[in-house]
Amino acid sequence: MAPLTYLQAISAALRDELRADERVLMMGEDIGVFGGAFKVTDGFAAEFGSDRVMDTPLAESAIIGCAIGAAVVGMRPVCEMQFADFISCGFDQLVNVAGKMHYRQDLAVPITVRLPSGGGFSGGPFHSQNPEALFMHSPGIKVVAPSTAEDAKGLLHAAIRDPNPVCFMEHKHLYRRVKGEVPDEIYETPFTARVARPGTDLAVIAYGAMVEVALQATADLDGASVEVLDLRSLVPLDEEAILDSVKRCSKVVVVDEANMTCAAGAQVAALIAEKGFEDLDGPVVRVATPDVPIPFSPPLEQAVLPGVDRVKEACRDLLEY
Amino acid sequence: MEDRIWLLRAMLLMRGIEERAMSLYRQGKVPGSFYDGYGQEAVSAGAAFAMAPEDRLCILHRDLAAHLIRGVTPARILSQYMGRAAGITRGRDGNVHFGDRRLGCVGMVSMLPDMMLVATGMAMAFKLRGERRCALTWFGDGSTSRGDFHEAMNWAGVQKLPVVFILENNQYAYSTPLDKQFAVDPVERAAAYGFTGVTVDGNDAEAMFEATLEARTRAVDGGGPTLIEAVTMRMHGHAAHDDMKYVPKEQVEEWRRRDPVERQERRLRELDVDVDALRAEITAEIDAAATEALAGPMPTPDSVLDGVFATEAEPLGDGQAPWSGYARADAAGGDA
Amino acid sequence: MTSSSTDTLIDVTMPQMGVSVAEGTVVAWRVGVGDAIEAEQTICDISTDKIDTEVPAPVSGVVAEILVDVDQTVDVGTVMARISSSGGAAPSENGSAAPTEAAPADTATPEPEASVPASSGVTAPTRAASRSGGPGRRYSPVVSRIAAEHGIDLSTVEGTGRDGRVRKQDVLAVVNGNGHAGGAVADPPLHIESPYRPDPPEVGGTGSAQVAKAPAGSSDAGGVVTGGGGLSRIRRTIGERMKQSLDTAATCTTWIEVDMSRVEAARAKLGVTALAFVARATIDALREHPALNAWLNGEDYTRPQDVNLGIAVSLGEDGLIVPVIHKAQELSVEGLAARIRDIARRARARELTADDVLGGTFTITNPGQYGSIMATPIINLPQVGILDLEAVVKRAVVVTDSDGNDSIAIRPMTILGLSWDHRALDGALSAQFLATVKRRLETLPS
Repeated sequence: MAPLTYLQAISAALRDELRADERVLMMGEDIGVFGGAFKVTDGFAAEFGSDRVMDTPLAESAIIGCAIGAAVVGMRPVCEMQFADFISCGFDQLVNVAGKMHYRQDLAVPITVRLPSGGGFSGGPFHSQNPEALFMHSPGIKVVAPSTAEDAKGLLHAAIRDPNPVCFMEHKHLYRRVKGEVPDEIYETPFTARVARPGTDLAVIAYGAMVEVALQATADLDGASVEVLDLRSLVPLDEEAILDSVKRCSKVVVVDEANMTCAAGAQVAALIAEKGFEDLDGPVVRVATPDVPIPFSPPLEQAVLPGVDRVKEACRDLLEY
Repeated sequence: MEDRIWLLRAMLLMRGIEERAMSLYRQGKVPGSFYDGYGQEAVSAGAAFAMAPEDRLCILHRDLAAHLIRGVTPARILSQYMGRAAGITRGRDGNVHFGDRRLGCVGMVSMLPDMMLVATGMAMAFKLRGERRCALTWFGDGSTSRGDFHEAMNWAGVQKLPVVFILENNQYAYSTPLDKQFAVDPVERAAAYGFTGVTVDGNDAEAMFEATLEARTRAVDGGGPTLIEAVTMRMHGHAAHDDMKYVPKEQVEEWRRRDPVERQERRLRELDVDVDALRAEITAEIDAAATEALAGPMPTPDSVLDGVFATEAEPLGDGQAPWSGYARADAAGGDA
Repeated sequence: MTSSSTDTLIDVTMPQMGVSVAEGTVVAWRVGVGDAIEAEQTICDISTDKIDTEVPAPVSGVVAEILVDVDQTVDVGTVMARISSSGGAAPSENGSAAPTEAAPADTATPEPEASVPASSGVTAPTRAASRSGGPGRRYSPVVSRIAAEHGIDLSTVEGTGRDGRVRKQDVLAVVNGNGHAGGAVADPPLHIESPYRPDPPEVGGTGSAQVAKAPAGSSDAGGVVTGGGGLSRIRRTIGERMKQSLDTAATCTTWIEVDMSRVEAARAKLGVTALAFVARATIDALREHPALNAWLNGEDYTRPQDVNLGIAVSLGEDGLIVPVIHKAQELSVEGLAARIRDIARRARARELTADDVLGGTFTITNPGQYGSIMATPIINLPQVGILDLEAVVKRAVVVTDSDGNDSIAIRPMTILGLSWDHRALDGALSAQFLATVKRRLETLPS
């Protein structure tokens, strides 16, 4: 057990898997000698060789496509998109080739795609996105999004060992800001939700970086008992845990850092409307980024990303309802 | 001699199955679209024949002979066309979108040439593990315009991977002729990516076999990828609904005289092979396959939601490799 | 040539020559009726938006019919001709190639009628916009549900939410504060004004086979539905059924007063509700007067052997439902009490099955909870009688002792009302029936 940052926990999971399983292979741009744009694979090439920690050509479609090829002949590739935004260039391979493969011809594609996502540091429109909902809408792809160091390691182990394509959404904002006790051994965190803080008056449902925002926003909300549910996995979505929270609290705020329309939170809200209706004591409230590209300049960016104040205000408002 | 007969057999089977499937299509028994490889049989037959059991193939839609050589039965193929439960994809995907994973084949997707990258990735794994195996994939002239063509050619060249790319130049991408597709013959691009490119008569099954075998040898010996441009002609429309009015009649006539099946037949007749008997045997085989396929049930919707996700990952299996060279190698290995 | 009895007629349909092609035109027939043809032989030429092509015969045989004329344009899949095939020759001779097989789309349409959860209609969102206790008051789904489960009149609940809105915690406070005040009978009232039989499941998409529903406000005398056309479909259905009963049956109502002293004493001992005793007495009376345990459909009058006793159960703002206790004659008072509790609970939990609401031969309704003393219930057709149990109230009554001396005593009294169908029986019989019920209730062993 050691206190690790979120980023160190991801590195630890990758290192453990490379040591434990010779089928595991890292592929990405600048991940070898340089150690990755965020230094997640720092020192890996020296330990495992540049064959297994592979600097690839700058070609996202090729990274995903070659990973698929390697996977169907027995490898366990872990691809790094330098920024989650760049998955747009590999979208076709991931959605059409990997996602549909098993349904069509019973051929499993065990690949993990790491997607450093999220904004908050003036990354601008091409380095700040949260594209997870695109893959929720694409059958055959699992999507997970840890919010803590412990879950980052456990979910990554589980993702690499899963026989399906898994998008691993790692939030850049959490890399060095979140720290926690992380078990040394290999452990797999299930693709289910986690109650980050139990409560009875109101539930905030979030994932990734928004879990910490939700916890802060509701730490002291005029004495109200506020539950925070950390989804952890978006595909599969833990319907039971969501509906349990609704049953307990009857008031729900769903927080997304992604753009509002058709986001993961929209699916959660729709689920509650359909299956949790009789337990509701107020409208399902959503806090998300409006449907604009993420702007560069700090005051503009801060104006659109959901922060502690916006979540707090939404919770207060709903509590009074 | 047996190898030469095998090549003809594969081509005759391909042509016969596709003709039967087209007939079934016109009878309303084949849903959706129907694509065939009439006139291009030598490309897939010759290339696939050069592949060893442990090699892996990503097969395109005009390459039915490759499936047959790897061991897929005609009845399963006809069931596949008709969307029946006994088809390779059990009705989940249509017509030529299939690959039998147990025979080392991956089915194509419609976004071309996505499978070039998958084949490149397979080759990358073979090289990483130090295995003497290669990956092979087919794609058309239109595919050379897309980014994935460049990404695969570049990656394979950079990493010197054991992969064979077969550019099936059949003169038209749907209705678009070559001069609207590229300014430079794509085979010349191979050199720019740092590997060998050769042009082969795609209507000569034996020439295709020889070129592919050479490319495979180069690949497994560490010599890197090869781009083989198989020059051929798509003698039917893009799909059953396409009457090909955009193709000049003279062009079709010219290519008809170079029919790959007839060419191989002539070769064998000169060697006193009873080609007519072979033809009769194949017709009977297809009749039986059609009967079996028509008798099979349609899939039932109760399982339509199953299998989106895998519960375990089993890699591709080995395919059949009827070329006598592999049988000899096996025998030698067995003795040693 | 004629077809032998073993011949099969095989359809030749307009093929789909491309995904987007919807129709085709016959250009020429190459064969005529009566011609012998071989499988794969071209039988006609067709033209479509995308291509002109030939259509081969699917089997060998004889052309039996030609159904589409030259130059006629028909939809893809239309039968153009039929071939009489003696079978055995062509691969398509087996059964799967018969005409029905030609439409694989049929088998691929998963029409999940049976799997549509019957409870899907239960969560009708109308309650979210419910009004009660005066204009402008709306209750959330969870508040409405808790109130219905506990029989709470929301108009009396003080709201602490924005603009006085009743929140979950407000209604829960009422439940926790008053929930056990009722003494022996903690169950909410079973009744509402009239019996209702739900729609058959095939009607509409939202109808539930199990549970009758009404929008909020429907049972609220002061409820004014705003927004125009405000009655829900279910409310309308209840209305139609009730109106139909009144229009069909010759409804009369007869009352009788009953001293419930014995019942009150017995129920305290057994720990059951008065309703169970009334039910038992009613069953006995029905056995004595089977003319009331009957169905009247037009001129078709039948008297079932069993007493299948319907009990009207209120679902609060959702309306009401009449689950049925089958073979009720076989049950004791305790057995009846247990069954009444069970069906009431399952009705409120939306767990009733279709069998639970079908086959009733007589109905009891019990709105006594609110202190009302008389009602004129509406008969649940095709039954011919419905018994109404109102509040049991203490009253000063004249009692006569065994010596014939009159005195005034305080007694728990109730008024039983029987609505009956004059088409099926007459007033004398209904009075005799009520007298039997009264006698049985007043002579319970103490």
